[in-house]
Amino acid sequence: MYRYDEFDAAFVKERTAQFRDQVMRRVRGEINEDQFRPLRLMNGLYLQLHAYMFRIAIPYGTLRSKQLRKLAYIARTYDRGYGHFTTRTNIQFNWPRLSDVPDMIEHLNEVEMHSIQTSGNCIRNISTDQFAGAAADEILDPRPMAEILRQWSSLHPEFSYLPRKFKFAMTGSPNDRAAIKFHDIGMKAVANEAGEIGWEVWVGGGLGRTPMIAKKIRDFVEHENLLAYLESILRVYNRYGRRDNKWKARVKILVHETGIDTLREEVEAEYAQMKGGVLTLPQAELDRISAYFAEPAFELVNATQIDVPREKAADPAYGEWLENNVHSHKHPGYVSVTISLKPIGGAPGDCTAEQMDAIAELGETYSFDEVRVTHEQNLVLPHVKISDLRTIYDALVEAELQTGNAGLITDMITCPGLDYCSLANARSIPIAQAISHRFASPERQREIGELKIKISGCINACGHHHVGHIGILGVEKKGTELYQITVGGDATESAALGDTMGPGFVADDVPDAIERLVDTYIKRRETADEPFIEVYRRVGDAPFKEALYGN
Amino acid sequence: MEILTGNELVSGATVYLNKAGRWVEDLQQARVFLKEEADARDAALDATKKTMRINSLEVETVQLRGGQIYPDRIRERIRAEGPTAPRRDQRQHLRQDDHVSI
Repeated sequence: MYRYDEFDAAFVKERTAQFRDQVMRRVRGEINEDQFRPLRLMNGLYLQLHAYMFRIAIPYGTLRSKQLRKLAYIARTYDRGYGHFTTRTNIQFNWPRLSDVPDMIEHLNEVEMHSIQTSGNCIRNISTDQFAGAAADEILDPRPMAEILRQWSSLHPEFSYLPRKFKFAMTGSPNDRAAIKFHDIGMKAVANEAGEIGWEVWVGGGLGRTPMIAKKIRDFVEHENLLAYLESILRVYNRYGRRDNKWKARVKILVHETGIDTLREEVEAEYAQMKGGVLTLPQAELDRISAYFAEPAFELVNATQIDVPREKAADPAYGEWLENNVHSHKHPGYVSVTISLKPIGGAPGDCTAEQMDAIAELGETYSFDEVRVTHEQNLVLPHVKISDLRTIYDALVEAELQTGNAGLITDMITCPGLDYCSLANARSIPIAQAISHRFASPERQREIGELKIKISGCINACGHHHVGHIGILGVEKKGTELYQITVGGDATESAALGDTMGPGFVADDVPDAIERLVDTYIKRRETADEPFIEVYRRVGDAPFKEALYGN
Repeated sequence: MEILTGNELVSGATVYLNKAGRWVEDLQQARVFLKEEADARDAALDATKKTMRINSLEVETVQLRGGQIYPDRIRERIRAEGPTAPRRDQRQHLRQDDHVSI
């Protein structure tokens, strides 16, 4: 994993000292809130409904055990003993006091972390595939390039005041687990005709009130030219992106209004000026950064098949966990393990300090000191020996983290909603809890198979409802929380936006509505393993609308 | 009917202006401004802004139900009580140094 150099260490230290001074001046009344708000936001400190919320960057979702232990310490010392992992693969604390935040940041700095650019109209944390560097289907580990982009975009003077926030996602696998087509810029590692690996670039994806699937802007960009190409896109966006209307300021609107072909010409003109210039990435630098992400010293072990039916017969819960939470690894004898943060009836993405410590211990002992955060609000041990799986599972049971539901109906993305967020119109967490209880039975979940439910408490879509196989959007109408349902969304390479089914449901009726959709799917599927999303594509929305509203 | 609410600077806690001009945690102690008290409400807003200690200052409409103050918006009812889920989270409290008066 990447380690801070002297430059990184110096700039975060300087920034922390600046923020400490800014907080002191605000508390003493030397600056007012209008002056202070942009300063605190630049350091990830929001004011929510009940208290401040402090958001910490986890670059490309990768943590060392020491860093996770530090997050546990911060949760215990300065917050309420837990943290909330987000779809940007960051972590949020819901209850810090303003006067404690500089100390919290100093603690983060000790383990090479910070909260810079977790808010504001700048380039935010870059997210990647949670199985990067481990997945059997990967053609390139995207993290070295993600780290180079992190360095390029951190405090970039030209891009600190963009028209609106800007999010990158990268995948090194053709199977997109990072939702790259729903980001301002998405990048996928591809091979060109000569067999060289580079990047396919997509632009203008996003969710929110105007959801858009990204358009491909370039088939191939070489590693050495990627910074110049991305800077070209950002420059065009910075010049033409709308600043008169917050709701039309994202690059997706520029792409939509300008048209991808015209925009591509603008970007190419800029790129022609930049290519071969100071932003050319020397191979030596790529090699230097890549060395931080070198493969761990995997043991040479025999490829072992996991006999799931046998394990399931002996211990059904362990068998379910093996079936759902274990992902193939490129190295024989190893797998990646998803640690579900979606216990039945829990708040999706929440993790207690004790659980963080337990996971840090497992990461250190069994996964080469690495833990990953997924955009689906779970954690991952990326490099686990198959022979260690039972020991790990037993430790997860002890930490109450053994839920074997990764990718199933109870593994929902859920925003904090109106229980915490000042932008929300309706609650999300109680809806997730009710659905989770309704489908708690492992047999029922197994019968349903892969089904992704995503829940947002407002149109800003932090819960990614547009790309849920079933999406749920909370709205407020005449003082009542109502939940609108979409079906058919897909965040993967076969990207699709969900179709709105009809009028919203009151909270108490949502689990029944979801059950009717699920029953319709099961009735309509041709084989037991035909997934929900495939059935929806095959039969269309009519049976699902009928299930919800009758004829 | 209206009340004044905001978030205290250091704790971020939800607070309400009471009849004595003090910003307190309890919604039921909030001063209720009638329609004809708009001048008093605006004066209280101005005085509060001068303290620089209350953020997200808002005027909220409320009803009286059984003698209890009941905010019209769900959002405000949740702000008053704390998160409804997960249950472990109670609302934020002021510490001794966090109290603000106008």
